[in-house]
Amino acid sequence: MDLHNLNPSSLKSRFTTRFLRALTEINARKPIASSSSPREIFQRYRRIKDAADTSMAYSVRSRRTWSKATLWRLRTPSHRRRLASFGRRSSLNKTRTTTTASHRGAVVVQITSRGGGLGVQLEELRELVPGGEAMDLCNLLDETAHYIKCLTTQVQVMRTIANLYSLE
Amino acid sequence: MLAAASSCYSTPLNSPPKLNLPVPKSMGMNSGVADFSADPGFAERAAKFSIFGSRSFNCRTTQFGPKDNGEIAACRFDPSAANVKLPRVSSSPAIKTLAANSQEESTVSKQHPEPGFKGPNSRKRKAAPKAKTNETSPSPSPNSSKVIKPNEASNEKRCKLSESNENENGSGKAVEEDANGSNTRAPEPPKDYIHVRARRGQATDSHSLAERVRREKISERMKLLQNLVPGCNKVTGKALMLNEIINYVQSLQRQVEFLSMKLATVNTSLDFNVESLMSKDVFQSNNTLQHPIFPVNSSAFLGHQSQQNPPLHGNITNGTMTQCSVDPLDSAICPKLNTHLPQINQFIKTVPQYPTFCEGDLETLVQMGFGQNQSQEMALHSQNFQGSNQVSDMKVEL
Repeated sequence: MDLHNLNPSSLKSRFTTRFLRALTEINARKPIASSSSPREIFQRYRRIKDAADTSMAYSVRSRRTWSKATLWRLRTPSHRRRLASFGRRSSLNKTRTTTTASHRGAVVVQITSRGGGLGVQLEELRELVPGGEAMDLCNLLDETAHYIKCLTTQVQVMRTIANLYSLE
Repeated sequence: MLAAASSCYSTPLNSPPKLNLPVPKSMGMNSGVADFSADPGFAERAAKFSIFGSRSFNCRTTQFGPKDNGEIAACRFDPSAANVKLPRVSSSPAIKTLAANSQEESTVSKQHPEPGFKGPNSRKRKAAPKAKTNETSPSPSPNSSKVIKPNEASNEKRCKLSESNENENGSGKAVEEDANGSNTRAPEPPKDYIHVRARRGQATDSHSLAERVRREKISERMKLLQNLVPGCNKVTGKALMLNEIINYVQSLQRQVEFLSMKLATVNTSLDFNVESLMSKDVFQSNNTLQHPIFPVNSSAFLGHQSQQNPPLHGNITNGTMTQCSVDPLDSAICPKLNTHLPQINQFIKTVPQYPTFCEGDLETLVQMGFGQNQSQEMALHSQNFQGSNQVSDMKVEL
């Protein structure tokens, strides 16, 4: 395969560069030791995961709702998030009612039966896709498609990097 | 019958002053039409009129032919005159309403001259495909749909009467509906849609048109998603599709978590001695590949492994490298990592074919560094990544 076919401005390459930068930064901050406690490893895992999500959200050129929501979620601390979620509820469509539960900073939305039996799944999908709470079905499907595409890219890149690392 | 018809006609004509009262109110065409559409008995009267057959029509035309023509002519050139006519129409019995309807039709069509010729019968059908196209310009005014409604209702009852009129001006009305859809669409073959006749105002209602557009959009997006999500081609129906999509998104998210966990545990020194580690570690991981589902893969992997040690060049083509196209990445990653490129490249090219390698490698890591619980979690995680549709609620929570 031609190694030089990589499009320097493709989503994959953008994500890769950002993620690697973040990884090296994380490693530089706290180099892993053979005797790290599970807690440390967990912290590291969280940082890496956040870095991956952030770098993917940044790499999305056309600003998407899910990328904005991801960045917002990672930036604002949880107490501010809960306050903001009250304001967010008011922007929801009239076809939906909201509950007062807040789940990890995301607003769980109850959908009226206008969807015709799809309510439960739509709710699940809204929970899965970041920023999907305040969107109607049409846009939600659009966001889901883009989100899936970016997730697959992310998984590919991370798997490659992990393989590279794990070859020692 | 004829006498009755004539008498009906005579009375409104003989009492013009009564009818002048509503005129000063600024009645636009549309409000006049609104009277029509608000008239509950309109359809019934129209139906009754059609039952009479052509006799009464003839009588009407013979008796009031010149007058009607005059009226029509007046309407054509003076739309405001139509306003005068309309109140008379609304208060008159069925026959006159129909006559006025024809006038109003002509006036309406004259007021909305638009190109495009459509047959009258296909008007309702055309509304649907027009709405189907996504270039729906918002209907110019809700009034236009109201205008269409009584026209349509009446037209269905008496298509033959003013067919010539319609044909001439049918373009106007049809294109009013087109305004709801797209103006550039060619006449649709009638077989695309079930021609709904009986329901009044259903297809032309701006709400139902918009709903139809919305539904089309949604189904279009679902088709796109079907292409993205593997294994969705056999599934039909929104609910099942959504289930598949949800499963897939969940599995992708878990994969990200899993891989980030893996990265967190891996030794991060960038310059590492690859060759020695490769021979040792890889063989170790091969031996620990106890995944029951992929025995073939592991043996094939071992076979590849034996070939790996002598230096190779990219003859190992992976036709099934669908999971990750590693090669383009190497050029991006390698300059940054300063690792021994060629052997890693070759190795990595073979790796993606065998996803179990990840899990096997992780199992070694797990046995090295983690406790029992976590290894079980990881093992279960690895099972989930094989694209199975079992949705387990497990997350890696430590």
